[in-house]
Amino acid sequence: MTAYTVYMEQLGPLLAEWSRRMGVFVPVQIQEALYDFVPWSEHEEIAWDYDVAYNSIKRHFFPPRENLIRFDAAACTATPVFEAPDQLLFGVHPYDLKAVNQLDQIMEGGAPDQNYMRRREKTVIFALQPQRVAATAFWGSMGSGHVDIGFDLFWTKISPNAFYVEVGSPRGEELLLACGDLPEATLAEREAARRERTRILAEARGQGLKYPWEETPRLLARNWDSKLWRHKARRCLSCGSCVLVCPTCYCFEVREEMDVDMKGGTRFREWDGCMLPSFALVAGDHNFRGQALERYRHRYFRKGKYIYDKIGELGCVGCGRCVRACTAGIANPMAVYNELWEAEQHES
Amino acid sequence: MAKKPKIAFFDFAGCEGDQLQIANLEETLLDVLGHVEIGEFREVRTGGKGPYDIAFVEGSITMPKDEERLKAIRAESKTLVALGACATIGGINCMKNFLGPGVYRPEVYGDRARWYETYDARPLRAVVPVDAEIHGCPIDRDEFLRVTKELLLGKKPWLPDYPVCVECKMAGNVCRYEFGELCLGIITRAGCKATCVTEGARCWGCRGLAPHANMDAARYVMEDRAGRSRLEVQDLMRMYLGYTSTTL
Amino acid sequence: MSPRQANFSPYVPRPATLVRKERLSDMVSLFAFEPDDGRSLAHKPGQFIMLSMYGVGEAPFSISSPPRRQSVEFEIAVRNIGTVTNALHELEVGQKVGVRGPHGTFFPVQVFMGKDTLFVAGGLGYIPLRSLLHYQLRHRDEFGRIIVLVGTRNPQERIFTDQIAELAARSDVEVYETVDVPDAGWKGNVGVITTLLPQIRSLQPDNTYVAMVGPPVMYKFVIADCQKMGIPAGNIYVSLERKMKCGLGKCGHCQINGVSACIDGPVFKYTEIQTLKEAV
Repeated sequence: MTAYTVYMEQLGPLLAEWSRRMGVFVPVQIQEALYDFVPWSEHEEIAWDYDVAYNSIKRHFFPPRENLIRFDAAACTATPVFEAPDQLLFGVHPYDLKAVNQLDQIMEGGAPDQNYMRRREKTVIFALQPQRVAATAFWGSMGSGHVDIGFDLFWTKISPNAFYVEVGSPRGEELLLACGDLPEATLAEREAARRERTRILAEARGQGLKYPWEETPRLLARNWDSKLWRHKARRCLSCGSCVLVCPTCYCFEVREEMDVDMKGGTRFREWDGCMLPSFALVAGDHNFRGQALERYRHRYFRKGKYIYDKIGELGCVGCGRCVRACTAGIANPMAVYNELWEAEQHES
Repeated sequence: MAKKPKIAFFDFAGCEGDQLQIANLEETLLDVLGHVEIGEFREVRTGGKGPYDIAFVEGSITMPKDEERLKAIRAESKTLVALGACATIGGINCMKNFLGPGVYRPEVYGDRARWYETYDARPLRAVVPVDAEIHGCPIDRDEFLRVTKELLLGKKPWLPDYPVCVECKMAGNVCRYEFGELCLGIITRAGCKATCVTEGARCWGCRGLAPHANMDAARYVMEDRAGRSRLEVQDLMRMYLGYTSTTL
Repeated sequence: MSPRQANFSPYVPRPATLVRKERLSDMVSLFAFEPDDGRSLAHKPGQFIMLSMYGVGEAPFSISSPPRRQSVEFEIAVRNIGTVTNALHELEVGQKVGVRGPHGTFFPVQVFMGKDTLFVAGGLGYIPLRSLLHYQLRHRDEFGRIIVLVGTRNPQERIFTDQIAELAARSDVEVYETVDVPDAGWKGNVGVITTLLPQIRSLQPDNTYVAMVGPPVMYKFVIADCQKMGIPAGNIYVSLERKMKCGLGKCGHCQINGVSACIDGPVFKYTEIQTLKEAV
């Protein structure tokens, strides 16, 4: 695989060139110890050592609210609405990229979701090797520390002023060389990148599951009736924060609104979540998951079993955003799975 | 639409801020008004008589004699819409309910308290059936427009039953609890686009409790986890949420 | 040309015109539509459509008519209980709606061929089952016994009463009907739908396939009784209603544990779902 060396001082012109072509988003510190992706400008200081972005990057191809069709109510005709700006997400961590790859599979499978696909195709992703592990993160133990696909470039900071940049796609390489040729990376630089990855992975593995993640689906299958669900769900606010911040959650509601002239209108989708009370409510007032316990359990099964049954990997990448977003302190897949695991160890 | 539906605006105890919000819609308001005939509108014009297809009623009920007037409006209106926090949940007027009439009447009217017959403040639905509610203090203009359009279509207006947290996540806001601050977004009905938090403040609960609000969990979050005093939490909750069967 | 180049979106409905409207009970009416583009839905029994009343919303409805070669017309029967269904009931012949689909799985007609079919229709469950039932009646020789159980809450809520009376009069169809709560004029069976099962004469369990649709509470009781009678689990087909919203297996609302009712269902062989805790 081709790899180049890029020095810090070469980045300014490159970023300026990229942002002429598309919207460029980079991680910056937004408040004390909080980071998020924001539109790049030369005044922004990129937080190369950010631990986790406050918001998941899914909003860039699965926005909180997105128009699907425009309709003419009288004629009963409709046309699709597609919005897909060219954009570059620079600095995506592997666990977040794994979540994007998962969303890609689900949105493309069966009847492809054209709105998602078009946005996704217009999105360039430059992955970035994390330098720190967030206190709430557990991606090291979820099989999310490393990702082989989905990036156009993969950046690893190998010294205070140099990056080792691996090429993942022709589009990525073209953008990297947009301001002129760059030296190909040396073996020593490749080795430095490998060492950096090994170091951070070792650190990340320190906080996480107490058992191999592959066991999670079977662990859950044995624990449908665990007391844990009721115990935790007592404190559930049914506020949906855990699923809305989740980089792999994609549930949505569809609604519509007429224009002021009452002739045409727009049908749109909006983020929804299985933790919200009326998510499974049907006409006639039957709610298939009317209790907080049922909704709470559903989420952990979805992350730990249902997605695995579908595509062979866990629906939780271990980013830890839900841990932080849950004001009641009950949304923590690592803690839940570990508790179930430990309870079984005591029984046997 | 064959005949233009006739709509009217009425107010009880409140600041008329919601009708002001509607008047502030200006051009957009005129577009919508093209579809309706206006009966009464305190902020725009006066006069006109029922019956009405849609009556928007602002303010809370604070005197026994309000009830008669509200019932008369109800009798004259096909659809009655509560407009704004005072009308939908009782709003800040209900703060006085915690004092009791023996305290608030002399406090407000002094030695003439006997002349004014006031009682505990309450929302419209405590007196008459209400068909739709436009929450908020003040109301959100876009929501007013949407609900009006939905009513003109004969559609039951959409009203979120989840808490404000959902809209904070959509907006990408940093949660107030990150800094140990209090915020009622965890139990308050959404629909405001989390506007207060987005603007850097916190949620005061002006849209009332979400139907599934878990009050025990909320207290645990505010008192045990955020470490705020019982009194501080109570003060915040009593500001807007006063009219409730839940102990605040 | 690929769908992509055609500016295709699976969320865009196509227009269809209401050609017939018929009242079935106080709350339920039948609506027959023809797609404006003249292309048939080409549906199979048990599938559903997403129907748009623009400005009001979109909702799922089971197709009640059997597949037809000679006509593009299709029927749905709808209870007036929600926003979309309210608007639909106000629709007049000649007016239009938007339609997506057909969506979902279906009753495997070939599997039922040569076998006896036991239809179990609770409440509005008769609506989707009617598609399979009428298909079998059109190809009567290809199927064995046709046994139809119909259960309704009360006599006022019965639907397709004329058609069911016609069926009952036929010698090649066995019809059993019951209501939970009778009125003064009701002379038939009283009790839940499982009370009809023992009345079926000389049922051959191994040769019988079950097609079942009803309210959520019904399934586990009927399935248990069918199995007690010796009908193999693999012969039992159920259609499960959930909150279908996108119809494409994306939006998550219709999930039953890990499966999506809109693409993995609504019709399931019982053996596919018997281990799912949220299914029946």
